[in-house]
Amino acid sequence: MKTRKRRLLALCLLLAVCLTAVCAQANDSLPYDCYNYDHWNNILYTPAPYVPDGSVSGAALTWQGAPLGAFRTPQDLCVSPDGDLYLADTGNNRIVVLSGDLKTVKQVITGFEANGKAETFSAPYGVAVSQNRQLYIADSQNHRIVVLELDGSFVKYVQNPQSEVLDEGFVFTPWKVSVDYADRVYCVAQNMFQGIMVFTAEGDFTGFFGTISVKISLWDKFWRKIATKEERSKQQLFIPTEFTGIDVDDEGFVYASSKDTDGLQAVRRLNPRGEDVIRKGPMENLGGDRVFGQAGNYAGPSQIVDVVYRDHGIYSLLDLLRGRIFTYDHEGNLLYIFGGKGSQEGTFRTPAAIESIGNHLLVLDSQQANVMIFTETEYGRLINEAVALRYDGDESEAVALWEGVLRLDENNELANSGIGKAYLSAGDNEKALIYLRRGMNRAYYSVAYKRWRNDALRDNISWVLSAVIALVVLGVVWKKLIRPRIAARGGKAT
Amino acid sequence: MKRLFSKERWKFLFYTVSHPADGFYWIRHQDRGSIAIAILLVLAYGISFSMNRIYASFIVNDIEPRTVNLLAELAGVALLYFILCVGNWSVTCLMEGEGRFKDILIAIGYSLLPMTVTTILATLVSQLVAENEEAFYTILMGVGTAYSVIMMLVGIMQIHNYTIGKTLITLFITVIAVLIIIFLALLVLNLITQVYSFLHNIYMELIFRF
Repeated sequence: MKTRKRRLLALCLLLAVCLTAVCAQANDSLPYDCYNYDHWNNILYTPAPYVPDGSVSGAALTWQGAPLGAFRTPQDLCVSPDGDLYLADTGNNRIVVLSGDLKTVKQVITGFEANGKAETFSAPYGVAVSQNRQLYIADSQNHRIVVLELDGSFVKYVQNPQSEVLDEGFVFTPWKVSVDYADRVYCVAQNMFQGIMVFTAEGDFTGFFGTISVKISLWDKFWRKIATKEERSKQQLFIPTEFTGIDVDDEGFVYASSKDTDGLQAVRRLNPRGEDVIRKGPMENLGGDRVFGQAGNYAGPSQIVDVVYRDHGIYSLLDLLRGRIFTYDHEGNLLYIFGGKGSQEGTFRTPAAIESIGNHLLVLDSQQANVMIFTETEYGRLINEAVALRYDGDESEAVALWEGVLRLDENNELANSGIGKAYLSAGDNEKALIYLRRGMNRAYYSVAYKRWRNDALRDNISWVLSAVIALVVLGVVWKKLIRPRIAARGGKAT
Repeated sequence: MKRLFSKERWKFLFYTVSHPADGFYWIRHQDRGSIAIAILLVLAYGISFSMNRIYASFIVNDIEPRTVNLLAELAGVALLYFILCVGNWSVTCLMEGEGRFKDILIAIGYSLLPMTVTTILATLVSQLVAENEEAFYTILMGVGTAYSVIMMLVGIMQIHNYTIGKTLITLFITVIAVLIIIFLALLVLNLITQVYSFLHNIYMELIFRF
């Protein structure tokens, strides 16, 4: 008896150990958390959408037989239409061109020849490649944007912007640069609070773009009202937020990130007139983390330093404060979050720029001076593909993918809602109701509910009405015929 | 017990709901109300409140189900009711109110009935509405709340024999009194914790020493 009990106990213990091992293995090998927010801003941990897949530093690369040498405070990345990676090695005053697999150096641009004179870069901060295969370099300390052919030959400068709206003595120090299909140049410049600077293909400054208006709360207004002139001069100025990164999508819309102090909207999608046309999603929030501490080391809203437009309306934001990468779809739904700070491989110290090549995401860390590579997992692939299908309008085809997502992460609201919508269009309202509710999709739930209600009414109206009529008839019979008779007999019915 | 729950008192509850001015007058002057029923109504309101939070349909309900806690909400409603009564009593005592504490308990308890009924009704109705039809739900809830507030006003007016202006003034002061009571309660609670931790520390000190 005793041994049997012991055996049972041992079995239980063994089972417990095995179970914990199984549960714990999921994200254990990752140096960061992967999570998402549900409808009530609870944090729900998810499987990893992307996993670290090595990193590339300058020290490990060779160029023309000699070591390339470590990068020094690199600031920007750009993928050309041909799939090459352009890296602004700011501290070394050069542009390094890597092949798409990041294994070999294709070219190192340290200077160029303009008008018969040899020129070099001084702290090239941003880099961009246009669709017409021209290289744009924000040569920050030379106060100009250099345009080169991909082979390194000089095309033109964009510099010295002239306009009445610019202050006198304004020094043009370009930081980030991007180019659209018509070769218009968008530039984030130092101390340029009015917005993104736009230049024509000829290099003329045309004006500002996407200005972020200053928000002054009533409370601030009140204090400014009662403050004396002297006090007011000492107060902080209300300055619009500066943009931090830009990217241009295929249709020529500009994605621009900024550090939003409220943590509500850190990215804008600007149409050619400079108006923000981004969709903010069901939570009206595009600010990265929705829940954050108010005091301590990692407190405050996410500080978004760069944005990359990927395919099919998907874009990712890079957070400097907590080293996280937030990915949204074109409707503003938060798809997944991953990444973190630290010194392990796959974590950042000072993330500066983000790019995407194929199913990889690349993050440039200026302090660690390397490019970190993240590869899509099954979970990430399913979400990306399902969202892409929805973007293209083939929502019904996405169902199999969403089911795959649910197998890995049953809390995923987008997946539930996607499946619910499919059931709705297939006419299975009852199942649609279940899934749409799990997906917290009120609008579609309501549609499904209306259809279900109509069906229920149509199916049952005949017998409900007959029952009502029968009851009325019975009542009349009772009142007119039976009750008087009982009463006449002197019965008890009154 | 029988006296508190007698059939007449139940009937009079419904009379009071339909004729608040008259009903509360007789409750004050002929003892026709019942504290037991009043407290029962408060508990019923607490339950209907929680039920509404968890069972109202998804269309109108944006409450995280995990935050709904029947016991905590019941305790909250009961506590608020009690503090409100104590606050009103302490204010009206000083302002020539004729009502006894018992009458205040009954007046506020009885006037919760319309709100309870409409909350339950609205919860049922919410099961039948789709988007853009939430108005049925909101109107039902609003009507119930309005009726309860009016009943409460009339009730306090009648049992204290006040004019409407004086009722509003006393109610305003009552709110302040309630805030003061909560403040004092927190203060006392804080003090008790400190005394407790002081004694606890002494005890620990002694234990470690000997």
